[in-house]
Amino acid sequence: MEAEADAGRLPVETMRPRFTMIQNAFAGRPMRAAVGLTAFFAIWQAVTQLNLVDGFLLPSPVAIAEALWQLALDGSLWVHLGASLQRVAVGFLFACVVGLALGLICGWWRTVSDYVRPVIEALRPIPPLAWIPITILWFGLGDAASYFLVFLGAVFPVFIATYTAIRGLDRNQMNAALCLGAKPWQLFTDVLIPASLPIILPGLRIALGVGWMCVVTAELIAAQTGLGYLIQQSRMLFQINNVVAGMVTIGLIGFAMSAILERIERRVNAWAPSERS
Amino acid sequence: MNAQFAPATFAAAEPAAPQASTAEVQIDIRNVGKVYDSKATHQAVVALDGVSLRIKKGEFISLLGPSGCGKSTLLSIIAGFQSASSGQILQNGRPISKPDASRTVVFQDYALFGWMTVQQNVEFGLKAKGLPKAERADIARSLIKTVHLAGFEDKYPHQMSGGMKQRAAIARALAPDPDILLMDEPFGALDAQTRVLLQEEIARISTEAGKTVIFVTHGIDEAVFLADRVVVMSPRPGRVRDEVLVPLPRPRTAEMRSDPWFVSTVKDLWETLKPEWQKGD
Ligand SMILES: Nc1ncnc2c1ncn2[C@@H]1O[C@H](COP(=O)(O)OP(=O)(O)O)[C@@H](O)[C@H]1O
Ligand SMILES: [Mg+2]
Repeated sequence: MEAEADAGRLPVETMRPRFTMIQNAFAGRPMRAAVGLTAFFAIWQAVTQLNLVDGFLLPSPVAIAEALWQLALDGSLWVHLGASLQRVAVGFLFACVVGLALGLICGWWRTVSDYVRPVIEALRPIPPLAWIPITILWFGLGDAASYFLVFLGAVFPVFIATYTAIRGLDRNQMNAALCLGAKPWQLFTDVLIPASLPIILPGLRIALGVGWMCVVTAELIAAQTGLGYLIQQSRMLFQINNVVAGMVTIGLIGFAMSAILERIERRVNAWAPSERS
Repeated sequence: MNAQFAPATFAAAEPAAPQASTAEVQIDIRNVGKVYDSKATHQAVVALDGVSLRIKKGEFISLLGPSGCGKSTLLSIIAGFQSASSGQILQNGRPISKPDASRTVVFQDYALFGWMTVQQNVEFGLKAKGLPKAERADIARSLIKTVHLAGFEDKYPHQMSGGMKQRAAIARALAPDPDILLMDEPFGALDAQTRVLLQEEIARISTEAGKTVIFVTHGIDEAVFLADRVVVMSPRPGRVRDEVLVPLPRPRTAEMRSDPWFVSTVKDLWETLKPEWQKGD
């Protein structure tokens, strides 16, 4: 019986190292991300090269790379990218200030939340696109309109994350801090903030992603610079390669922002159960 | 050791030490009641009803009772986390109104700060006191040694077992040098062996530190093993039902668990409490 079991186990043991070798080559999430992205662009290239899709309807990755290179050389890419990034930064900052403050207040005082939350929940379903006409009426065609639309997109995720985090604070932990003599400031900086970051930070990351989408939406209609404007202008000039080049830039920048924030989250929230695997 | 000592039970209304001078009474619980209004069911829950208890400085009190009899409620009112619906609690003659570092709490779920190391957790109360960094670190290190966690100063709570977490939480509660240590079923979530070890540990520490301890539990042997006085509570509404004075000397040691007085007291208590506790389930 025992010998049989041993015999049965032997092949498995010898096969193991080979499996782990293959696994190691693909180990690490950055590696897998690179493989996934490469495969995506390779298939795209193949589809266009084999003329399965008309090159005018969907340019090949190589053609887009060329277009991007040209835009980078003549400097217009950087001007538009810079404009978009600056707008998302300002709008996002406003959203953080308002969303964090409001979330904190509503999370802490139930009565305030009873008044404020219905208003927020009624405003939240209105998509930023629907805000554009009134935004132009209020702010005209300029940076302020973009700031406002980014703010609108980002403020709700920030608010909800903050509100949820504060509501979910552990009563015993707060009590423990109080009985140890914590003053309000220590309670805030040493307990309340670190305890709620595991929920707030992912909320900020989502908010930034939404804000990034909003800035492009705003620029399609209500701006004279930015990646959204680049796309819109190229469309009118039938420069389809530049249209897709703009889209690819938006995608890659959004991806990078999200990846950077996720790294920060991992470091800050290393202690939290959700960050352990 | 008084092996022939019969379980000394007193009626709740009768003060434990009739002629105790007010000077040595540290905590005076006067006719405390607590009613929770449940908004969901529109039914008021009487969690505590006319609880009176006088606790002397340095005394180790076990609050014993089935779950739901208001032990945690009473403890949190003593801590100052919530207020009584009626009656009041005095500490050294002054009414308790809010949490204070002279009364620290050890919770069943540890309530450690997960984002802080053991060292930082223990230092928390010292930081609140405004002690300088070096002094804080020294005091915390020596307390960590006291609870046998030396070497784990830089570990985070999630890297430790339940027993180790509770040791850390005890060190954290001792750090501000409180007069009174409040413990709410601190060993309830631990396995049996760890629980026994920590019982002996808290028996040693509380005697060495000379703190007043209020120890909430629903374990009869644990209550008797640790306390100078076991206060037995009964549910619905939460009331003090009995008191048992424990004549065993302190510090309590493992062999006292086989002392005839201990064995018979635990057995008698179980016999008297069984009917009520069975109702609760
Ligand atoms: N915050 C609360 N709101 C409403 N009812 C409560 C609350 N806390 C405790 N109770 C009720 O009060 C009674 C006593 O609870 P508790 O003090 O936790 O008892 P124990 O600690 O002895 O188990 C229980 O019936 C419980 O349901
Ligand atoms: Mg309880």
